[in-house]
Amino acid sequence: MSDERKEPRRRMRPADIIVQALMTLIAAVVALPILEVVNLSLKTKRELYVGDPLALPLRLAWENYGIAFERLRLGTAFLNTLLYTTISVAVTAILASAAAWAIARNKGRLFRLSYLYFVLGILIPYQALFIPIYVMGYSLHLINTVFGIVFMYVAVGMSFCVFLMASFMTQVPLELEESARIDGCSVYRIFFSIVLPLLKPAIATLVILQAFGTWNDFLMASLFVSDTKLKTMTVFLRYLFSTTSQDYTTAMAAIVILFVPIMTLFAALQKYFIKGMTVGALKG
Amino acid sequence: MRKSSLARRTELEFASLMIPGLFLFSVGVIVPMLLGFYYSLTSWDGFTKDLPWAGLSNYAKMLADANAVSAWLFTLKFTVLNTVIQNALSLAFAVVLDGNLRGKKVYRTILFVPCLIAPIVAGYIWLRMYSDVLPALNALLGTKINFRLFGSGDTVLPGLLIVNQWQWVGYWMLIYVAGLQSIPVELYEAARVDGASRTRQFLRITLPMLAPAITICVVGITVGSLRVYDLMVSSTSGGPGRSSTSIIYQIYNTAIAGRQYGYGSAMSMTLIFVLLVVAVIQLGALRRREVQL
Repeated sequence: MSDERKEPRRRMRPADIIVQALMTLIAAVVALPILEVVNLSLKTKRELYVGDPLALPLRLAWENYGIAFERLRLGTAFLNTLLYTTISVAVTAILASAAAWAIARNKGRLFRLSYLYFVLGILIPYQALFIPIYVMGYSLHLINTVFGIVFMYVAVGMSFCVFLMASFMTQVPLELEESARIDGCSVYRIFFSIVLPLLKPAIATLVILQAFGTWNDFLMASLFVSDTKLKTMTVFLRYLFSTTSQDYTTAMAAIVILFVPIMTLFAALQKYFIKGMTVGALKG
Repeated sequence: MRKSSLARRTELEFASLMIPGLFLFSVGVIVPMLLGFYYSLTSWDGFTKDLPWAGLSNYAKMLADANAVSAWLFTLKFTVLNTVIQNALSLAFAVVLDGNLRGKKVYRTILFVPCLIAPIVAGYIWLRMYSDVLPALNALLGTKINFRLFGSGDTVLPGLLIVNQWQWVGYWMLIYVAGLQSIPVELYEAARVDGASRTRQFLRITLPMLAPAITICVVGITVGSLRVYDLMVSSTSGGPGRSSTSIIYQIYNTAIAGRQYGYGSAMSMTLIFVLLVVAVIQLGALRRREVQL
C-alpha cells in the first residue's frame, strides 16, 4: 500500500495510450457478435428484414423469447440440457477426484499405470470414435435414454478431469488425512469429509470446464438423442438454424437462452476458476 | 505382519476409489477405440450381422479417395495455421494484459467470454456476421471490404480461422496469463539491474519460464484443431463444394450418410494415429525445453 502512495499512478506515455486504444478497439470487435445477437433477438421480424442490422431495436420485442420457449418447446430441451449437464458434471467431479486422489496417495505400479492409462485418453477425442460409440450405444440400448447420454459424457470427460484433479493434489495437506487415519477413519470417509471439501477451487475449475463442454456439446447429443422429448439445446438449435431461416429473430433469442446459464455459472465461479487454471494447468 | 495387511487393505480401498472412473473410461473410450480398429478392418455397412473382413483395404482406399485426401488437407492446413496463429495471439494478448494497462481484467473477461458459446452457435452467429452485419458496417464506414468469407472456397479457411480465433484466443490467453503471473518478479529486477533490454528480458526470462504453459497451449490447440467439426455444421456445411470439409466431417458423411462404417472407422483410426504421433512429437520437443531450464 505504502509503495503505491509514494509512487503516484504512472502517467500514461503515448505508447501506453496507443495500446490502450488498440485493446479497446479489439475488445469492441470481440464483443460485437455477442451484442449483435442480443440486439437482433429483441427486434421484430419486419425490422430485421428492412432495417439496418446495426441499429438498435425500435421497441424491445421480448415476445421472441416467449415464442422460443412456447411455440418451439425450447423449455423441454433446456431442461434436458440442464439435467444431462448437472448429473454428468457432478458424477465426473466425484469419480475423477476419487481416482486422482487414490493415484496421488499411492506410489504402487497399479496406480502409476492407471494414471498413464487415463492420461492417454486426453489425446483421444471422442469425436474420432463416434462410429463405435454409436454402434455400442445402439446395441446396448443406450440410445435415447438419459442414462446413456450421461454415461457417455462422464466416460469421455474422465481422462481430462483425472489429469486436472491429479495436478491439484499437491494442494491438499497430508497432515489432516494422516491424523484422520490414526483416528481410524476409512479411506472413503477421509475422501468425502476431508479431501473433497479441500478440493473446492479445483472442483470449481472442473465444473466450469466440464459444464461448458457438455452444455455446448453437439456431436454426442446428436448421436445419442433423436427423440424430441430428450433433445438437447444444441441439437434443437441445429434444427432451428437449418429449417427456419425466416425465423431468425427466434433463433437469436434461443442463442441468448442457451448462453445465459453458462455465463452465469462462469460469473459465479470465476474467482476460483482463474486460480484453478493457474495451479491446475501449469503443474501438470 | 498386521501392519502390512492393514496397508494392503488401505491400498485396496484406494484402488476401489479408482475403479468406477477406470471402468467408465474403459467402456466409453477404450472399448470403442478397439471396436473402431476392428471395424476399420471390415467393409461393414452398419446393418448386417456379420462384418465382412477387408484387411487393410480401407486404409488403401483412403489414400486413393480424392474426398478423403481433400478433407485431410483441409484439416492439416487448418491445424497448422490455427496452432501458430492462436498461440501467437494468445501469448501477445496475455503479455499486453499482464502489463500496466488500465482495466485489464475487463479486457480479459471480454476476450474470454466467446469460448462459453457453443461452437455450433458460433458458426451460426458468424454466418450472420459475414452475410449481413459486417456488410452493414461497410455501408456505415463507406468501405468496400469483402466480408462474405464463407461464400468462396478461397476465403472459407480464413473465415473459419477468424471465427476460431474469436472463440478460443481468450481461453488460451488465460493459461498464458497464469503462466506469466507465476514468474518471480526478482528475475526481471535482476535483469534490469544488469541492463537487459525489454526484448532480451522477454526472450531470456519470459519465454523460457513460460515453457510449461507453452506445452499445454501448443498441444491443446493442435488436438482441438484436428477434431474441428461443430463449427462447420451450422456455418459452411463443409462447403462451398467440399472446401471446408474436415476429417471428422468426412467421417460423419461416410459413416452416417454413406453407410460405410468400416471405411469411416479406418479414417477415424488414422486420425487417432495422427493425433498421438503429433502429440508425442510436440511433447517430446517441448518437454525437452522445459527440462533445459
